[in-house]
Amino acid sequence: MVNVGIAGFGQSKLVTRRTDVTFPELVREGVELTLDDAGMTMDDVDAIVYPLAPDALIGVNNGERWVVDALGAAGKPMMRVNNGGATGMSAVLAAWTHIASGEFDVVLVAGADRVSESGSAQSVLNKMWDPAYERLVPLNTITMLALSAQRYMHLYDSTERDMALVAEKNRYHASLNPNAHLRKPITVDEVLESRTLAWPIKLGDACPATTGAAGLVLVSEKYAKEHNLQPAWIRGIGQNTETFWMGDRVGPKHRGDHADAVSLEEAFQTAYEMAGVTDPKTQVDVAEVYAPFSSVELHVIEAAGLAERGGAPALLREGKFRLGNEGTVVNPSGGTLCSNPIAVTGTIRVGEAANQVRGRAGAIQVPGARVAVASAIGGDHQFYSTMVLSTDLEEI
Amino acid sequence: MTEQQTEQAPAFYNQTWDLEYRHALGDTAGRFLNGLAEGKIWGIKSQDGRVIVPPRSFDDHTFTKNTEWVEVGTTGVIEMSTVVYEGFRGLPDPPYAIGYALLDGADTALVGYIRGVDLTDQEHAIEATKIGTRVKVVFAEKPSGTSADYWFEPID
Amino acid sequence: MSDKERDEVAVLAVATTRVDREEHRSLEEMIFDTVTEVLGKAGMSRDDLESIVVSGNDEIDGRVISIMTGAGPAAGVGHDVTMIASSADHALSYGYLRILAGQDDRVLVVGWAKPSESVSSTRVELMGAEPYVLRQVGMSEAVAAGLQASKLRGADYRPEGSVVAWPLTADELPAEADSVHAIIIGREGSFDPGQELAWIASTAWSTSSYELGERDLSDLSSLDSALARVEQRDPKAAPGNWTGAEIGAASEAVVEHVVQQLQLDPAKTNASGRLSQVGTSPYVTGLNRMVAAIERVVESNEQELIAGIGFHGFASQAASVVVFSSEKLV
Repeated sequence: MVNVGIAGFGQSKLVTRRTDVTFPELVREGVELTLDDAGMTMDDVDAIVYPLAPDALIGVNNGERWVVDALGAAGKPMMRVNNGGATGMSAVLAAWTHIASGEFDVVLVAGADRVSESGSAQSVLNKMWDPAYERLVPLNTITMLALSAQRYMHLYDSTERDMALVAEKNRYHASLNPNAHLRKPITVDEVLESRTLAWPIKLGDACPATTGAAGLVLVSEKYAKEHNLQPAWIRGIGQNTETFWMGDRVGPKHRGDHADAVSLEEAFQTAYEMAGVTDPKTQVDVAEVYAPFSSVELHVIEAAGLAERGGAPALLREGKFRLGNEGTVVNPSGGTLCSNPIAVTGTIRVGEAANQVRGRAGAIQVPGARVAVASAIGGDHQFYSTMVLSTDLEEI
Repeated sequence: MTEQQTEQAPAFYNQTWDLEYRHALGDTAGRFLNGLAEGKIWGIKSQDGRVIVPPRSFDDHTFTKNTEWVEVGTTGVIEMSTVVYEGFRGLPDPPYAIGYALLDGADTALVGYIRGVDLTDQEHAIEATKIGTRVKVVFAEKPSGTSADYWFEPID
Repeated sequence: MSDKERDEVAVLAVATTRVDREEHRSLEEMIFDTVTEVLGKAGMSRDDLESIVVSGNDEIDGRVISIMTGAGPAAGVGHDVTMIASSADHALSYGYLRILAGQDDRVLVVGWAKPSESVSSTRVELMGAEPYVLRQVGMSEAVAAGLQASKLRGADYRPEGSVVAWPLTADELPAEADSVHAIIIGREGSFDPGQELAWIASTAWSTSSYELGERDLSDLSSLDSALARVEQRDPKAAPGNWTGAEIGAASEAVVEHVVQQLQLDPAKTNASGRLSQVGTSPYVTGLNRMVAAIERVVESNEQELIAGIGFHGFASQAASVVVFSSEKLV
């Protein structure tokens, strides 16, 4: 098997709005930061995989064509991935495939999003739903996950306070991360007192609409050796798909409850098997997992095997998963909850995890991190991507 | 001159995407929507014996065509729900409640507005629409041929 | 690139659904029917599938994140599904890479476009123009194709017939239809010898500048760089050895130019029909021609090496090539 590593990660400051640059200029910023971090130029890049989720959010159909010049991609093979919210990470998995195929040595994944540029993001996202049955009910990303959060609380006897623990932890982490969007710490009480969006999700439980750019450079083992690079090695990958129909995830005959992330658990198992991870609780040092709302992180922690089903709240109450505490640290960057430039949010998860195992995470470094996982979710908890990374190629 | 005085204000261009669509719904969805005008909720049986509501002509789980139509009950139980208090551009004014109800005879839940509940007090609203609440389907008096022709109301 | 020996990959089954305007079936139903058909042709059940690569364009179909409603009908539940959203042609190339990477023995590739869902496909195309300058001017596939053809043919060219976008007449522009293409590809060794319809001899794809003013529109640099890669990786699959070609483009002027540039036999180019005779949509035009190339390999009694070429983006901004062979090229 061709080993693939991550040799560079760049991200712009993640903010609400950038009025000083066009979309292609923002992309260019991300590309430059990424190539700088890798110590490379565009001439070293063999192919590009471009992450871009809904075109409607940036207002240009097939927006990837528009940014070819900003990317410096003219004359190179380039394709675009759109797996909804998982896009940023699915693109990285596609880049992995490019290199593992033996056909390319250096692949760039770089893109950007400006979620607040479209004033109607939730109305745009309402159009994800089935035209016959679901568009007239205002389902969007917030309501679909509010439903999941409500069911989780019902099944596992957890509370809004448990959700707030996630928010408090991640905002604390983000306060240490110079690139994060929401950097102001928040208390559990402040989360509980914040206004309700769609119950039980409150403002304090929710991600911001972020503008920013990010990218990664992936390299083959051969290239890394030839150029004396110390990348973060990708040891396992997995992707899985759940049914689109949320109504199928309830009732006695469901194959996976909307409260849980069963298909994500399966995707993690695929990645773990490939990587040789047998006991995530003891073997995984860091987890950068996509969770745009606090409630989502609860069942993602469980799907990653870091807690039993329904067991994440108890561990959080004990202070687990927090920087500075023993055991796996979850979302030391602050996670998607604190920064969510949709098209590249999955890319940033991988980049943050890569930095951790390469010892380059600075103020948010988990000491001695050697094995990390990253995951992303797209659609209505429908598309799942997972990855295991490590510092070296030795047995985990 | 100071830096502030020479700084340029950011430039913007406003644009609306106005793309129109005429979605072909297919005969299966068509039958369900027509059924609403008759006060009926139609489901369809999949090859593994599940009654799918709302009906789809194929089942993505068994990957087979669904052909046996089943009329399901117009009462059922809320399996999940939420009450929305935040307004979003392009979506209805809050507050409103939406829920997935497992109707009697169905194996998958149908989404709809939950009406007939006073939503002004959040605690009351959450309690009145919680998982396990029994609801009935209410049909619009003047059907439009869309999924706006039904909603749920709690059965007291 | 790796020094390891590359696996041979073949096309095992193909199915196409094409309707001028499908009003009885939803897009999802069309996809389901096409995938059911291709599984039947391959003698496979959906449980035999490993991963699936899908490709659709949100704006043509009127869905935001079209993988959501598209994955289920493409047999995606319980599988690894990736949506390649730049062009349906790329989905086939990407599926091929997955097999080479050892991730899958067999991959299902599904590309679609249902332009009848849009009240105006031209308006959708206009949204592909950047909002600052180009959208004001008004741009569509046909207009960009006209600009390109004017460069290709020169100012002295006199069109015959009614002009749609100078110098192009209606019969030089592609016909529109709703279509779904499903293809199953497999690694040699994962299927019974003789089951293959055609071997994939080579694939390459490339792009060029978005800015129409920065390119010489008569210069198909995206195709040039893609073909340079084919020649480098698989010299036996180079254009000089092709026995035929199927080219999907925004106008016949582009097809003519490719024929001339690569010195192809016009009689063996687009034997499946002129652009105006085969209903498709710009998003799937290349995949459509790749399927046509496969079908020609199957139908022939001779040894064939037929290329499927697709362009996408205004004025052929990007190009994809997949070369199919009746025999393994060793």
